[in-house]
Amino acid sequence: MTAAALPLIDRFTTIAESYPDKLAIADASGQYSYRQLQESIAQVAGYLTDSGLNKGDRVAMVVTNSANYAAVFYGIWAAGGVTVALNTQAKARDILNWTDHSNAKWLFIDQGHGELSEILRRLDQSVELVSVGEPKPDQSTEGHTLWTTITQARSTMPKMALSPTDLASIIYTSGTTGSPKGVTLSHANLSANIDSIQKYLQLSSEDSILNVLPFYYSYGNSVLHTHLAVGGSLVLENNLVYPHRVVDRIANEAVSGFSGVPSTFALLLGRVNLSDYDLSKLRYLTQAGGAMAPALTDKLLAALPKTEIFIMYGQTEASARLTYLPPAQICEKRGSIGIAIPDTKIEVRDKQGKVTPPGATGEICAYGENIMQGYWRDTEKSAQVLKDGWLYTGDLAHTDEDGYLYIDGRSSDMIKSGANRISPKEIEEVIQELDCVMEVAVVGIPDEMLGEIIKAFIVPKSDQQTDKKVIQRHCKQNLAIYKIPKSIEFISELPKTASGKIQKFQLQSKEKS
Amino acid sequence: MSAEAQIRNYILENYLFTDDQSALDSGDSFLDKGILDSTGILEVIYFLEDEFSIKVEDTEMVPENLDSVNNIVAFIGRKSQ
Repeated sequence: MTAAALPLIDRFTTIAESYPDKLAIADASGQYSYRQLQESIAQVAGYLTDSGLNKGDRVAMVVTNSANYAAVFYGIWAAGGVTVALNTQAKARDILNWTDHSNAKWLFIDQGHGELSEILRRLDQSVELVSVGEPKPDQSTEGHTLWTTITQARSTMPKMALSPTDLASIIYTSGTTGSPKGVTLSHANLSANIDSIQKYLQLSSEDSILNVLPFYYSYGNSVLHTHLAVGGSLVLENNLVYPHRVVDRIANEAVSGFSGVPSTFALLLGRVNLSDYDLSKLRYLTQAGGAMAPALTDKLLAALPKTEIFIMYGQTEASARLTYLPPAQICEKRGSIGIAIPDTKIEVRDKQGKVTPPGATGEICAYGENIMQGYWRDTEKSAQVLKDGWLYTGDLAHTDEDGYLYIDGRSSDMIKSGANRISPKEIEEVIQELDCVMEVAVVGIPDEMLGEIIKAFIVPKSDQQTDKKVIQRHCKQNLAIYKIPKSIEFISELPKTASGKIQKFQLQSKEKS
Repeated sequence: MSAEAQIRNYILENYLFTDDQSALDSGDSFLDKGILDSTGILEVIYFLEDEFSIKVEDTEMVPENLDSVNNIVAFIGRKSQ
């Protein structure tokens, strides 16, 4: 087995033996060395093995970024399981839906999660629920396995031989009730992508990062693994609500890296005077998760002239990363998402599948060891995007004469708001549940800070009274906070084609005008 | 209307989408209860700056000042002194 194909859990074990006392993760509860993290991983793996986990069994987890997250995630791998890390902001209906869809046999969930009691009430009895973290004194612990049962148990790592082709993770990219989309990644997929990222970021055990990205998304997932695979350190800050605190920590912890989405940098530049802080140890920044306006990149360059800025592009379906713009090219190739990452091929193809000439828009297609196995139990959707080993991303772009890529748009209607990729269908389904709603269409409309915000156009039933608050309250009860439409407009009818298909582009252009 | 009532009503109307006063305790943490995210807190700051004619400095953007109705009321009180 080549080093590149070695599953990440095996790499972690080697690294933990090389750097036992080095800081692996610092979170709100404390600092954890590689040795301590390895012990926690072994405890989770031991528990799962003793509870009857068979190789390939799925284990769902709803755990906020923490050392516990890494312990559960790697513990599942060490036991031979498949991780299904779920959005911690999701409501019970989505969490239950994903758990059921992946046929997970265990569900690890934060002890303080707001939906815990609802999940306990509705969870299939065949699924073992494990609460993560110390229970609060007044909290019921009935019906689930306590974290202390795991942390007080033995910590011998099970000897589970994994093959690179074994399934490692399922990442759900939408929670639509009818058809969740679970990206399946093998150990080889993840290892290959982590290797490529390490090469172009030149990561080593000397590196440390302040991480604000949720690990359950592929971007945050790659930040976690790239650091643990080289012996680097992660300092966790779980929200951006107070931006100058984030910059304070970047300076005080003297980290070498920081990763964000465009809205992260818009927020930091908008509310914090970066020149007030000593950021001399900050070697690099990475940006992905949607196109960043070149003007914002210019501001970042001006604010941090000695820090390398990596503009990147990727998809969960590609494990995380597909392209990067070498920092040296950032001015010359302004607005570009760069070139293919090492060991990955990128082509822009037209509708006939032919490579487009420079300047002509086509679909970004990608080939490499990092490309997913397909969508979990959905051969039809998998076949739509995977053809002859190539991933058809649905993103539109053109190249310049030097082969640098420039995004022109997206062919899917997913909304990108902040770090989140949101399915309009999911929100439409929830709004449609209300008796007062006859029809609804949800679109993303441009927003300076978030890239896009969610707007719902609603046709009310003629005999029903409703207002914006009723809609938003229902959304709050049933959707994660970032999926609640910021804007709602009641209209008498939706624009449609002759065949009755809703023309969302008309609603969007109405907003732009 | 008192500052507390103004802030409570703003949070209830814009983030909890209700006028039911029992839906929010003035000591509730906006973050822990999932009431606000990072853009929500910016909107609250704009509201406070408009409504109470104060300027919230970047360094004042800390949970001790902004993470609950009670914290905001105390913060505004200090700013107005």
